[in-house]
Amino acid sequence: MGKTMIQKIIQRASGKEVKPGDRVWCNIDLSTARDFAGPNCVLQFDKETEGKGKVWNPDKIAFTFDLEAPSRSEQVANNQKLIREFAKRQGITKVFDVNWGIGQHVLLENGLVKPGWVILGTDSHMNLLGAVGAFATGVGNTDIVASWILGKLWYRVPETVKIHVTGSFKKGVCMRDLLTKIVGTLGAGGLIYKAVEFVGPTIENANLAERITLCSMVTEMSGKIGLIQPNGEVLEWLKARAGEEVVELAEAIKADPDAIYSEEYEFNVDDLEPMVSAPDAPDNVKTVREVAGEKLDQIHIGSCSNGRFEDIAAAFEVLKAADFKIAPGIRAIITPATREVMKQCAQAGFIEKFLAAGVIFTNPTCALCTAKHYGTLPSGDVGMSTTNRNFIGKVGKGSHTYLASPMTAMASAVRGVITDPREIIG
Amino acid sequence: MGKTFAEKVLGKAAGEDVKTGQVVTVEPHFCMSHDNAAPISKIFKKIGVEKVWNPDHIVFILDHAVPAPTDKHAENHKIIREFVKEQGIKHFYDVNSKGGVCHQIMCQEGYALPGLVMVGSDSHTCTYGAYGAFSTGIGRSEMAATWATGKIWFRVPESMKITVKGSFKKGVSAKDLILKIIGDIKADGADYMSVEFHGPAISQMSLAERMTLCNMGIEMGAKNAVCPPDEKVLDAIKDNAKTDKWEAIWADDDAVYAKELEYNLGELEPGVAKPHTVDNYAPVNEVAGTPIHQAFLGSCTNARIEDLREAAKILKGKEVAVRTIVIPASWKVYRQAMEEGLLNIFLDAGCIINNPGCGPCMGNHEGILAPGETCISTANRNFKGRMGNKESFIYLASPMTVAASAVKGAIADPREVL
Amino acid sequence: MAENILRGRAWVFGDDVDTDLIYHNKYLAITDPKEMAQYSFEYYPGKENFAKEAKPGDFVVAGHNFGCGSSREHAVYCLKELGIPVILAESYARIYYRNAVNNGYPVLVVPEITKKVKDGDELEVNLDTGEIKNLTTGEVMHGDAVTDLEKEIMAYGGLIPYLKAQAAKEQK
Repeated sequence: MGKTMIQKIIQRASGKEVKPGDRVWCNIDLSTARDFAGPNCVLQFDKETEGKGKVWNPDKIAFTFDLEAPSRSEQVANNQKLIREFAKRQGITKVFDVNWGIGQHVLLENGLVKPGWVILGTDSHMNLLGAVGAFATGVGNTDIVASWILGKLWYRVPETVKIHVTGSFKKGVCMRDLLTKIVGTLGAGGLIYKAVEFVGPTIENANLAERITLCSMVTEMSGKIGLIQPNGEVLEWLKARAGEEVVELAEAIKADPDAIYSEEYEFNVDDLEPMVSAPDAPDNVKTVREVAGEKLDQIHIGSCSNGRFEDIAAAFEVLKAADFKIAPGIRAIITPATREVMKQCAQAGFIEKFLAAGVIFTNPTCALCTAKHYGTLPSGDVGMSTTNRNFIGKVGKGSHTYLASPMTAMASAVRGVITDPREIIG
Repeated sequence: MGKTFAEKVLGKAAGEDVKTGQVVTVEPHFCMSHDNAAPISKIFKKIGVEKVWNPDHIVFILDHAVPAPTDKHAENHKIIREFVKEQGIKHFYDVNSKGGVCHQIMCQEGYALPGLVMVGSDSHTCTYGAYGAFSTGIGRSEMAATWATGKIWFRVPESMKITVKGSFKKGVSAKDLILKIIGDIKADGADYMSVEFHGPAISQMSLAERMTLCNMGIEMGAKNAVCPPDEKVLDAIKDNAKTDKWEAIWADDDAVYAKELEYNLGELEPGVAKPHTVDNYAPVNEVAGTPIHQAFLGSCTNARIEDLREAAKILKGKEVAVRTIVIPASWKVYRQAMEEGLLNIFLDAGCIINNPGCGPCMGNHEGILAPGETCISTANRNFKGRMGNKESFIYLASPMTVAASAVKGAIADPREVL
Repeated sequence: MAENILRGRAWVFGDDVDTDLIYHNKYLAITDPKEMAQYSFEYYPGKENFAKEAKPGDFVVAGHNFGCGSSREHAVYCLKELGIPVILAESYARIYYRNAVNNGYPVLVVPEITKKVKDGDELEVNLDTGEIKNLTTGEVMHGDAVTDLEKEIMAYGGLIPYLKAQAAKEQK
């Protein structure tokens, strides 16, 4: 009987034949923690091992700082210090300090993520690394500590849902809109405990940034992981960073043609239009047209979902079509995902144009997504952002947020009200 | 008998001939507030006056925590936006790419002008003396009262004359001079006084350097600090002065001073202020090798294009050994630095380039220290706990010294790498 | 051994209760679980005073997908520290479920419980059998306790004690 991608991945990692529902222990290829929950991991590890324990393999552990980079509170400053000291003590050299950017993206850019790898992190959006076929999951500190002691962790083998996508996006419409559509169709609990495979010609032609966007919100449907088979340009990009072996690794996780899926969905993007997640839940999905005209106080482009160069470039095109002008009074903030992305933006001449238009460009970090850094909204304000959650109060008590694509966010900044980007780039 | 700058400028504002020691009531030309405009507006409302005396004289610049990091900061910003609307205040710098650190904006955008009396609800308001203004920091209640009445009283201060000659040796800058002066006369050495910088070396200095000097006037207790409104100043303001009410005023040659000092730049070397006071001066070689955890190149003291250039010279092609936070003083400076390729140098060296604002300077935003950590900073204060934790340590130094130390991971003399 | 029977008052929450509602991200920097309890449900509309008013022994009752969102273990710690002995929800978000199990914190899956229990109802929960009695209405429900590996982990009081016991066994 055929196997899905996740079955093949878990099979390799556990050394066992597996079927959905099985509980197995998997060997961990990379166990990471952020400045969020990372300190809890460090404290718990030291407590459990009475301060004498050595981690199972310092080369398979990495730390990333993005919750508050740089820190803006004593507590986080101290938490970051705890991690730095722990890493030093344990001989962990992969510490991506406050000057790097959003963890998952930094790990990817630095070649630490390979197809088929089993990866842990203290970030519920770790699973966006499924964009290159890695089985990455967000876990709590106890799971991380267990992996540091044992190098293993228990998993329930998930059922797999297949999402088949066909068609090409019209101008002004992008992967983010498809994703929003999927979240609206399947709902917040729509993929509970399940793995997803995104397949079909639209996916095969998608670039890495688009794949990341797509996989970044599987969490918002309670899914375990969204997986995409690496191919073409994406595989080349990976090869250049993570080495030749990624080709073989990618081959090994290919789903069998007769693999069994618990559900299959079809989406066609030919007639898709710009979408939003309206307040106060990601699955409260509407078309941009339905909510067009609502006044906004702030827009934010960034986050692990839509903070790559391609995302910022898409926003740039919209601003360009509007003669590089945004509406008076609106606050527009762009946060690149990583330092590499920031450099790309600088080289492309984007930053200067954004600034000239009145848009703020910050250092790479999670920014307002973590609610304690740039862009917290006051009560009564309405924002739009390309992040992945808009739960009530997430970015400021009494405020409300629309989630949308970088193009829609920039179009809305141009007009000061929610705007269909097609009206601007028409 | 000749008059000091303070006597002349306050006399002009008061419309009478005044002498040191006399109390005068004047109408300040610009009243600057940053994020603390929110609490001030609350005090203002308690006074029972509906409208400010003149909205065109009030300037708000958000810089302490931008974009807002917490609910509380966000609410404060909102209160300010609403007050701005309600009062018809035009000079408002919100969270966007037009702003920056308040004192930089005041100078860069043509508010700081020769001969004007200016107040700000921030102690480093004395910076505008670089442009020949009489400017000083005041408290929140006094600012609220000034908004209501348009009047503020001053005692005409005694004056201190600091004459500066010679020229800087390589690796030495205005920051080293002001740290040395404060170290010599201590934190209260110029209490209540008007500090006048004189001499050929001041004329040689850029406005950026003069801003560094005047900015730190408050760290020796001065009411204000001022440099002569020479050609450089007139040239800088000719296209963007926000009012034509200014007048180039300077002290008479035979003015009487409470104290006179003289410095020769050629004798200076790179220096630092050691923890935990600004007057705890030491030449850099005395503390060289002290390990650091963070370097901060920013603040209203030293984050102008000239400062970034000096740091970039040292950082070019190198990698920083500790986390290094670069925060240009304004978006204008940021863009200039980008155009000159400086930001690329910083990024390639592994620095973080933050959006303009005060950053970690007063422990509010990016780059707070953890206990036991040490930071070398181009800012103006190193009080215990200033950048966050009370158990952390701050050394103040010039942009060159900060850059050299960032590369080494320990306090370093910039002359070694230049 | 006496049966593991608990009595307490129900606090009923809706579907898709996310981790920001349970424990807001502005308190993420806290590392001591004892400090976390006071912020439980601070952002939940209408239940902002939960942490002050709930008594040790009270139950959290919720709809589908409880604990969706972040991976923060704080959202488990805070309720555990507050003395909520068990969560009764129609289903759980994946990470939340794992975090609960890994801390030996009982979470029962109880179909349609939000239809059968109202805020303030007195409940009796038998942790061994999974039987839940609504003492206010007399209705009886059944909670689906966790299975196999999870049960074993919880029997040890969480993942770390479990691993320690396994390691000790292996050494023998």
